[in-house]
Amino acid sequence: MQWFDALVQGILLGGMYAQYALGMALMFGVMRIVNISHGDLVILLSLIGISMATAWGLGPLAVLAILVPLGLFMGWLLQKAVLNKVVGSDPLPSLIATFGLSIALQNLMLQIWSANSRSLPGGGIESRSVDIGGIYIGLLPVIVLVVAIALTWGLDLMLKKTRFGRALRAAAADVEAAAMTGINPRAVYALATAVAVGILGFAAVFQSLRSTVAPADGAAQLIYAFEAVIIGGMGSVWGAFIGSMVLGISQGIGFRIDPGFGVLAGHLVFLIVLATRPQGLFGKA
Amino acid sequence: MTAVLSTHGLVARYGDFQALYGVDVELHAGEAVALIGANGAGKSTFLRAVMGLLPVGRDMVRLDGEPVGGTSADRMVKRGVAIVPEGRRLFTGMSVEDNLKVAVDQAARLGAKGGWSIERLHRLFPILKEKAKTPVQSLSGGQQQMVAIGRALLCQPRVLLCDEISLGLAPKVIREIYAALPEIRGAGTAMILVEQDVGLAKEATDRLYCMLEGRVTLSGRSAEVTREAIGEAYFGAGHAVV
Amino acid sequence: MTAISDAATAIPAPAVTVRRQTNSGRIAMTLAIVALVAVAVMPWWASTGTIRMILELCCYIAVAQMWNLLAGYAGLVSVGQQAFMGAAGYALFVLAQTFGINPFLAVLLSLIVPAVLAVPLYFLLHRLDGPYFSIGTWVVAEVFRLVASNLPLVNSGAGMSLRVMSQYSAFERNVAMSLLCAFMLLVTLGGSYWLLRSRFGLALIAMRDNPVAAASQGVDVSRLRFLVYVAAAVGCGLAGAVYFMAQLRINPPSAFDPMWANVAIFIVMIGGIGSIEGVLIGSLIFFIADRWFGEYGATYFVVLGLMTLLVALYARTGIWGLLSRRFDAPWFPFRRFLVDPNR
Repeated sequence: MQWFDALVQGILLGGMYAQYALGMALMFGVMRIVNISHGDLVILLSLIGISMATAWGLGPLAVLAILVPLGLFMGWLLQKAVLNKVVGSDPLPSLIATFGLSIALQNLMLQIWSANSRSLPGGGIESRSVDIGGIYIGLLPVIVLVVAIALTWGLDLMLKKTRFGRALRAAAADVEAAAMTGINPRAVYALATAVAVGILGFAAVFQSLRSTVAPADGAAQLIYAFEAVIIGGMGSVWGAFIGSMVLGISQGIGFRIDPGFGVLAGHLVFLIVLATRPQGLFGKA
Repeated sequence: MTAVLSTHGLVARYGDFQALYGVDVELHAGEAVALIGANGAGKSTFLRAVMGLLPVGRDMVRLDGEPVGGTSADRMVKRGVAIVPEGRRLFTGMSVEDNLKVAVDQAARLGAKGGWSIERLHRLFPILKEKAKTPVQSLSGGQQQMVAIGRALLCQPRVLLCDEISLGLAPKVIREIYAALPEIRGAGTAMILVEQDVGLAKEATDRLYCMLEGRVTLSGRSAEVTREAIGEAYFGAGHAVV
Repeated sequence: MTAISDAATAIPAPAVTVRRQTNSGRIAMTLAIVALVAVAVMPWWASTGTIRMILELCCYIAVAQMWNLLAGYAGLVSVGQQAFMGAAGYALFVLAQTFGINPFLAVLLSLIVPAVLAVPLYFLLHRLDGPYFSIGTWVVAEVFRLVASNLPLVNSGAGMSLRVMSQYSAFERNVAMSLLCAFMLLVTLGGSYWLLRSRFGLALIAMRDNPVAAASQGVDVSRLRFLVYVAAAVGCGLAGAVYFMAQLRINPPSAFDPMWANVAIFIVMIGGIGSIEGVLIGSLIFFIADRWFGEYGATYFVVLGLMTLLVALYARTGIWGLLSRRFDAPWFPFRRFLVDPNR
């Protein structure tokens, strides 16, 4: 029973990770760029949300309604001001640029918000849970999972059915050929990064409702997102979702074995996948 | 009458390597022009330079007399130039239908109007209708070439650049593809065909240019140019035609 | 050199000699040797405080040069070299404190640990290309940190102290630290310079400029990358062992501190990637900046981060790249010049 509980909690945790991983899967799938400041952007959005909630007494939904458009704008700006200048076959410049940005953001947040952990008041939603056959399931984690599924489904649909999605997939397959077909790659990239960071707006709200955030937490979020994308297999939105589930379950079961082993268990599963199936569970060999 | 597309002393280089040394080519409305020459003569480079895929001077390429050299490829599409690139360059992982839809989407976005629709393309190449849901990487070479041509046509071009559309295909398939060219021209689209097969090139076009080492060495009406003249232009003066 | 003389016997070639040293190189080499000796004899001219400061600078130089070798030549952008620093640091503490081996001998023995760990890690990580390799190295460093936090052998999260050092006098410790610093510089900088001038050097430089073309010219890119990865692991391990020996304490967060990756990247990018000169310039700038602005804490790091960002966007070759475009005066020349002695 306690292992089943660990499994359930792991799946719920995976829902949170999926919200980080989707944006990364999108950006890497299209531009082959890994944005090192990915996790710091989640934290930045979280802290902005928390400050707004405390200053103006906003509820979580109102914060979400502000953070998602703000995330979209930040992503667009990031692409226009930084990434469009470094996108190309050499991964080093984009890596270094976002690495520098990550250090700057982390320390800027430290300066503004101090190193303290904060969280978003959820009006009681964060502590509600239901008892299903002896397993307590928190209402909030279930909402997180449902939102993660909805986001994955929506992103998948957007890639498959919309003009933007087709342009994105075309640019991912062959940038030059995409340009020859009338696509403006830079515009597509800017929109893709906007969507990726916009999704982080959701992650920011739920992360700060579920637990606490502090300026230095971004690195962990980046690593979890990255592990989920690799475990699932690159270039697939549902792959990233399943990867998040695998990571969440590994950590959940690890925590149950020994509280010090939880995060490590996730890393080990990642390394095992890397050693045995480097293309990821859903990637094409 | 001004040409739809013209180049004036077109020079292009890849890094330190100069590939084109002042190429002048003209294409008139509704005309088909062939560009022939040996491997490495600069034919594909010429098309890439025109399409805005290589940096070139503004005045070196003109569209309806207006300088457009160095305009990015997506803007060239907006101005009515499309390319069937060397090696086809389809969007792998996407179905035939989605490959074509990308062009339809962009033509709509850019406000490019023309007579081409997916239905009309299906009449031109019926196999594409049958294979609509197939991922492009599982098509035969000829079918892939049809998708590449279709994708370019759905950009609604006034000028179509075709880079070796017969390369690596069986003679029967080549005939099938070349049979579609008159209809494309009939829709008012002018074409530049880069072609290795001189016979094929002469048959399908009004005029031809022969290139050698980055320069035009011969131009004339396709029907009138002799094999000897082509041979000399192809390999350079003084070289025996084998 | 041999290739040239072989060719000379085969064909009656013009009598040219290969010149590899330049005037600027001779001056720099003299200064480098002087500096190295000065570092080795620090206890006779510097205070303990100065020695500690210079030790820190030497560690920056060593780690930055290892990162430069990885990212600047082998195209392996690691952000997890702290894994090897911590591993060697811990190995030193376990060998010296737990098993009672002479600590100065233990420094050298501890280098076996990063070397042995680097082999399987490379085979795991090289499957990740480009940016994913980088985050993969970070995950590895995190794994090391978490393992150390849970490993009773290294006293888990509480960390260890190097109490055995108290049996030596302060002067003896200073002598040892100074010699180790000089040795570390010799191995990392001197070793890199030797590597770049050797047969491997040409291959490394070809690989830096274009890995695909280098492979087509017969450079065994994957083998060379593997060797560089292991060498860099050992180099970083040496820096870690020396650094933590001076600190006398080690715990998981300090042993596997990502700060080292930040510092290495900052130094190499600002100074100039793909050159030893750049590493020296960058290290000095960082060292001075750290002394002057370190007290501003977070703001200082914001500026550091933004500078790294700006260099990546607008000046990828760093300060040395800008300088060498103006002046052709390399400090550590490794190019070959053909000289006709009759002229």
